[in-house]
Amino acid sequence: MSRRRPSPPSLALPGEPYGRRSFLRRGLVGAALLALGGGGWLATRKTRVGPSAAGPLKVLSPQEAAVLLAVADRLVPERQGFPRPRALGLATEMDAVVAMAHPATQLELKRLVRLFESAAAGLLLDAQPRLFTESTPAQQDQRLRAWQTSRIALRRTGFHALKRLVYASYYASPETWSAVGYPGPPVETGVAGRRAR
Amino acid sequence: MAERDAGRIFTGREVTSDLDLTADVCVVGSGAGGSVVAARLADRGARVVILEEGGFYPPGSLPLSEAAVYPRLYQEGGARATADLAITVLQGRTVGGGTTVNWTTSFRTPDRVLAHWRSVYGLDALTPAALAPHFDAIEKRLNVHEQPDDGVNPNNRVLHDGAGRLGWEVARTRRNVDGCQNLGYCGFGCPIGARLSADQTFVKDALARGARLHANARAVKLVREKRRFTEVVAEALDPATDLPTGRTIRVRPKLVVLAGGAINTPALLLRSGIDLAGKVGTRTFLHPVAAMFGKHPAPIEGYYGAPQSVASHQFADRGAGKVGFFLEAAPVHPMLAATALGGFGAEHEELMAALPHASALIALSIDGFLPKEEGGTVSLRSDGRVRLDYPVRPEIWEALREGCKALARVHLAAGAEAVYSLHDEPVEIRGELDIPKLDRAAWEAGRVQLFTAHQMGGCRMSRDPEDAVTTPELRLEAHENAFVVDGSVLPTSVGVNPQITIFALAHWASDHVASAIRLG
Repeated sequence: MSRRRPSPPSLALPGEPYGRRSFLRRGLVGAALLALGGGGWLATRKTRVGPSAAGPLKVLSPQEAAVLLAVADRLVPERQGFPRPRALGLATEMDAVVAMAHPATQLELKRLVRLFESAAAGLLLDAQPRLFTESTPAQQDQRLRAWQTSRIALRRTGFHALKRLVYASYYASPETWSAVGYPGPPVETGVAGRRAR
Repeated sequence: MAERDAGRIFTGREVTSDLDLTADVCVVGSGAGGSVVAARLADRGARVVILEEGGFYPPGSLPLSEAAVYPRLYQEGGARATADLAITVLQGRTVGGGTTVNWTTSFRTPDRVLAHWRSVYGLDALTPAALAPHFDAIEKRLNVHEQPDDGVNPNNRVLHDGAGRLGWEVARTRRNVDGCQNLGYCGFGCPIGARLSADQTFVKDALARGARLHANARAVKLVREKRRFTEVVAEALDPATDLPTGRTIRVRPKLVVLAGGAINTPALLLRSGIDLAGKVGTRTFLHPVAAMFGKHPAPIEGYYGAPQSVASHQFADRGAGKVGFFLEAAPVHPMLAATALGGFGAEHEELMAALPHASALIALSIDGFLPKEEGGTVSLRSDGRVRLDYPVRPEIWEALREGCKALARVHLAAGAEAVYSLHDEPVEIRGELDIPKLDRAAWEAGRVQLFTAHQMGGCRMSRDPEDAVTTPELRLEAHENAFVVDGSVLPTSVGVNPQITIFALAHWASDHVASAIRLG
């Protein structure tokens, strides 16, 4: 899947069955964004992949994993006792979660990640003509907040998809439990799950 | 009846070649509806085949971690939601269906709900007196009894004491458990088999009377000849990956019982080209839920102890034109809490760091009772995925807002330092004077996290054939040999946790199902 040529970003988010067409119905900004996303110079900017984003990924490309890790860095900023997402191997964890979804859902998520990262979308939607991964932490928080509080329901949906993926993967990891004071389950059970993950 | 060898559970791994099975009854789904019909029909000598899409995880077979259990025991790996992601859908998918992850709260259907169904939907047979023996039988088999006072954990104690101090109706709930150790992991599949869910009761009863259950078997199509179903086609799934193995299970039954729940039963009908003039998959109700997190000075440890043991129905009936709601508690495990809490970054971390002191209380809105209330819709996407839409009506937003105010007052009365809504920009409440802040908050899809653990409707039973997907006896309209026996037949929500309603309705309906076939 990751070997296919990436399609231009569109706002076909989880839950949107019609992809481009339904997006176009949502107005001029969207139409302009699609045009730019398809061929504009900003769309040629490439996400740089750090060493920790690489790994045995099943569904996400190394670039997509790098974007999600950057999002995770802002959703869980540095705080005493909270492990860094990279240290947990969160990219692999998130990839495993995405891999469980329906192929169409996987594709939507990948498109969402590319759109969120894209400089063209940043420019048009949030006056930030740069990749998310190349923005400062303050700019990144601003971009996240813009998606979270957007008047366009689809962008809010997109924000929630990213947020849920990051937090579900991060806080499901036993290494984070001491940070939140969770002592873990009172009894030890089960081998089936441990084998599989 | 002739003695018959006990049946058993087959997993997808055991289906190494295509299977052709004949049966008297093919039951699709093994939850509160399907398990009871299977057991009752097998008891009468019927040859029963049960198809269950989920896997078979006996008590104690999974580690008690959210990462392990949500992908295995919940629909869509725990990621099911409305199309706009505004409402997270917690729905079981395993042998025993939703009952296997249910938080054990066991209410009978309220009389006023049955009265509404009789008067509006012509369900004349559903009187409290007629259903009483069926509730009795279910409650006996599931050992439903009131939770003792010393089994109320601090999280539920907040609701009990807070509502009590406010002078509101509040009571300990009845639970379907036997030998419960109050570990707090009901939603993980009870690790010690103490919750008497369908897999521990009626599924076992059905197997003991010769039924055969295929787990990891996803029903994909119902084959018809005119008005008769001739075949149920299922694909075997690999238990490890949940992907199709390429093996097909075909069941040729005399009778089909659809019991896949309020989202998957309509979806299976739609996949089979049956929409009954557009009625299938409409009027889906969810008891949409809002929650309030309270930060309390004393440790709450809401991840331990029976997750639900107290409920308040003080606001269940708020008068004509208003949507009622009821109040309960929810367990506080890290992943569920993290995905529920509003905001992100340092603010979110701050709330997570308070987890041991967090109490989570929920307000469940009682949808489906307003005139012309349409609820949600189940449909199919072009790629075959099921889609759930639920436009939240203004009256429901009002109920959720008032519900959150009530929860804030409960938290404060129980001594909370601060209470937080699940808005993207969380509303912080430190005293009664802060409560009007909730009036100014954004009550809009995608700006405050909502949930549903109760999925109802989509194949409503009704006397009026123009309105019905099933008859009042739960027979599928316009077909000769199919019944629907699960939460999808409910014409409205139930106003209480629905599992006992579905169990009892299935117990009642089994007589109708049995009378529809000649055995042998």
